[in-house]
Amino acid sequence: MSEAQLIQGNEACARGALAAGCNFYGGYPITPSSEIAEHMVRMLPDAGGVFVQMEDEIASLAAVIGASLAGSKAMTATSGPGFSLMQEHIGFAVMAEVPCVVVNVMRGGPSTGLPTSPSQGDVMQARWGTHGDHPAIVLAPSSVGEVFDLTVRAFNLAERFRTPVILLYDEVIGHTRESVQLPEKVEIVDRVRPDGDAADFLPKAADATGVPPLPAFGDGYRFHVTGLSHDERGFPTDDGHVAGALLDRIHTKVSDYEDEITAAETFMLDDAEVALFAYGIVGRSAREAVLRSRDAGIKAGLIRPTTLWPFPSQQVAAAAAQVDKVIVAEMNLGQMIGEVERATAGQAEVVGHMRADGEPITPSELVGVVSAGGGGGH
Amino acid sequence: MTRSEIRIAGAGGQGVVTAGRILAEAAILSGSNATHNQVYGPQSRGGASRSDVVIAGDEIGFPLADEIDLLIALSSEAFEKYRPEIVDGGRVIVDSRCAPEADDDNTSDFAVVDTARAVSGGQLVTGVVALGVLQAYAGLVDADALGEAVAARVPAKHRAMNLEALRAGRELVSGAIP
Amino acid sequence: MADVKTYLREWAMPHVLCPGCAHGIVMRGFLDAIDQLQIDQDKVAVVAGIGCSSRIVGYIDFCTLHGTHGRAPAFATGLKLARPDLHVMVITGDGDGLAIGGNHLIHAARRNIDMTVMLLNNSIYGMTGGQAAPTTPAGAVASTTPAGNTEPNFDACKLMIGAGASFVARVLAANPIEMSKVIADGVRHPGFSFIEIISDCPEYYGRYNKVGGGAEMLTWMARRDAGVAVPLSEKKFVEHVPSSPVPTGLTTGVLERDIRPVFTGVRKQEPQ
Repeated sequence: MSEAQLIQGNEACARGALAAGCNFYGGYPITPSSEIAEHMVRMLPDAGGVFVQMEDEIASLAAVIGASLAGSKAMTATSGPGFSLMQEHIGFAVMAEVPCVVVNVMRGGPSTGLPTSPSQGDVMQARWGTHGDHPAIVLAPSSVGEVFDLTVRAFNLAERFRTPVILLYDEVIGHTRESVQLPEKVEIVDRVRPDGDAADFLPKAADATGVPPLPAFGDGYRFHVTGLSHDERGFPTDDGHVAGALLDRIHTKVSDYEDEITAAETFMLDDAEVALFAYGIVGRSAREAVLRSRDAGIKAGLIRPTTLWPFPSQQVAAAAAQVDKVIVAEMNLGQMIGEVERATAGQAEVVGHMRADGEPITPSELVGVVSAGGGGGH
Repeated sequence: MTRSEIRIAGAGGQGVVTAGRILAEAAILSGSNATHNQVYGPQSRGGASRSDVVIAGDEIGFPLADEIDLLIALSSEAFEKYRPEIVDGGRVIVDSRCAPEADDDNTSDFAVVDTARAVSGGQLVTGVVALGVLQAYAGLVDADALGEAVAARVPAKHRAMNLEALRAGRELVSGAIP
Repeated sequence: MADVKTYLREWAMPHVLCPGCAHGIVMRGFLDAIDQLQIDQDKVAVVAGIGCSSRIVGYIDFCTLHGTHGRAPAFATGLKLARPDLHVMVITGDGDGLAIGGNHLIHAARRNIDMTVMLLNNSIYGMTGGQAAPTTPAGAVASTTPAGNTEPNFDACKLMIGAGASFVARVLAANPIEMSKVIADGVRHPGFSFIEIISDCPEYYGRYNKVGGGAEMLTWMARRDAGVAVPLSEKKFVEHVPSSPVPTGLTTGVLERDIRPVFTGVRKQEPQ
């Protein structure tokens, strides 16, 4: 561990990326994510990497995908309006199975919205933003230290599953400085590369893991990459059986490992009668609110997912089985609450506390919500 | 130490954001935990500016100010806007130019802006003068750690001027409390 | 010269292009250029967008990336910056490169990234069924301009020169030997090279505008070639008579060639 230092969330993201082995960054300026690019351009060249500022967010993710196919660990970072533009290439990266990391530092929306204020309005877009059926891995840190850890994890998951991974956090997490001790060394996962004869190489033939090996362009394996439905040779096909099997594999290569991907922190749930469900900055408010509510004699607990997608259904169901009520607090008009209701499946009453006015949900606010029995919002 | 929430608020250009960052860094140098958060608008210069610092002996749960213990208001707007957010028993340091006419036990006024002008000829070191006031008035961080944090954060060519601003800020308090 | 089949994915045939479409001639001309250059087949990466011309990359045996509509120059930028040892080329069309992808094309040119863009201009959207493109001449009929196109069209080469491309050329699919030479020249050029290749679309453009099939369109194209006999400073770009469905003359050959600093990304500079 290094000494404690005061680091901003967006800087922790850049440092996490470098620790994970990121060697390509392509991005476009947008508040409140720009500090990530500003840190990357200062650090990446000395680490042997390459930085480019592209002409827009569509091009940014295209360049990232190109770099990843050239063997790089590549990332981009943006906020809501840019994330909307990136949806096209998130879908491409899913279909072509290109590892990459996309960071979305959420601000108020829709449209240009509240550029300098926090929001959690993109959690459903992160799941369903691009067209067609597709898996999604979306991580949601609650602190500067966790931004570092989950950035590393995002790269590792992207490499392991050959898929885009989205790191989603709000403006408060991005801009807050906290004293953190960053680890000197982190565990790094690299994509599997083929080792057989290049002449027999089938770029989209997977073993039991469901994840085909991925060579880099220029390394002797000549292969085709396309966003069209394709066969094991990577060649376009409109054969329904082949297209269906591809889509099935792209889903199951993630869903088969959901237990290993999903993660949620629980706090004081053992004897809780009411559970707060919160993520990102609201997870911090909720934890504080649990402590203060307990001081006031209310048995409160917390479930705080760090993976939003795949949704930690089992963890939520287990928590719901123990409590009478689940209060979902989020900085949007009600997005993850639908998933909580589905996972809870009637075991507990689910109520929401929503806020989408650019102000963070505070501990005091949640203490009031818990003592009033939940519900409401602004 | 228990959790303390400090808000430094004023106008853009007074160095409010840098002051908050220095305070948080001084807290870490003093062996505490700290967080720093800034609220800003689209303007790079001018407009309102605000810096929140949370200092605690142990892990900090919510990293933003929620119940403000100490407000440093460097403009009338900041004073009016954030005064209602002070927790019961909380304190306010306000620039003399913006001090309320009616006496208030919780509010102390110091000539922060005028002192900054005397030291630097402008408003750039206003935030650092305010840090000197804060340290002498409320403690919260070690005096040496604060000096170290100021020296580390400001550009080398302005270091002497900023350390002078910090000292002048402290003296505003020692002069006021005989 | 090697057998052109060395560079083909024969297993991927038959191809999707229509009878009479000159894109096949362009593909052959491109492969001849690669063969002339004698570059390592494993080090060639060809990036394409969406459309008829972009489908060529499926049939050529290199590292090939069939990306999204209009974005090929952006994918290619990432590839080239991450792997400078690759020979990166883009095959795009007039709708792909000049409409939806115009922004990416001009910025790749401006940065002067070392890549070669071949833009196959058939004056129409072929793959989606004959809609008007930014290159459709005024007056020409397309499925979305049944009464004749009332918009002016782009001059791709003029656009690229304006954007700062350091090598700009126009060649005809009807003149494949010159085409191969110019493509090879473009690949050799250190920096961004842009080659507009005038191709045809007998299935839609030819049929809608009653200008005949593939053979007739190529003959007609060659007859309109104004050549490059005049000095560069006096060169005229494609001109058209508004009442006519087709341009009256085509200036071909290398229209711009300049050595400028090549952008390689923000990176640690290797000692020279």
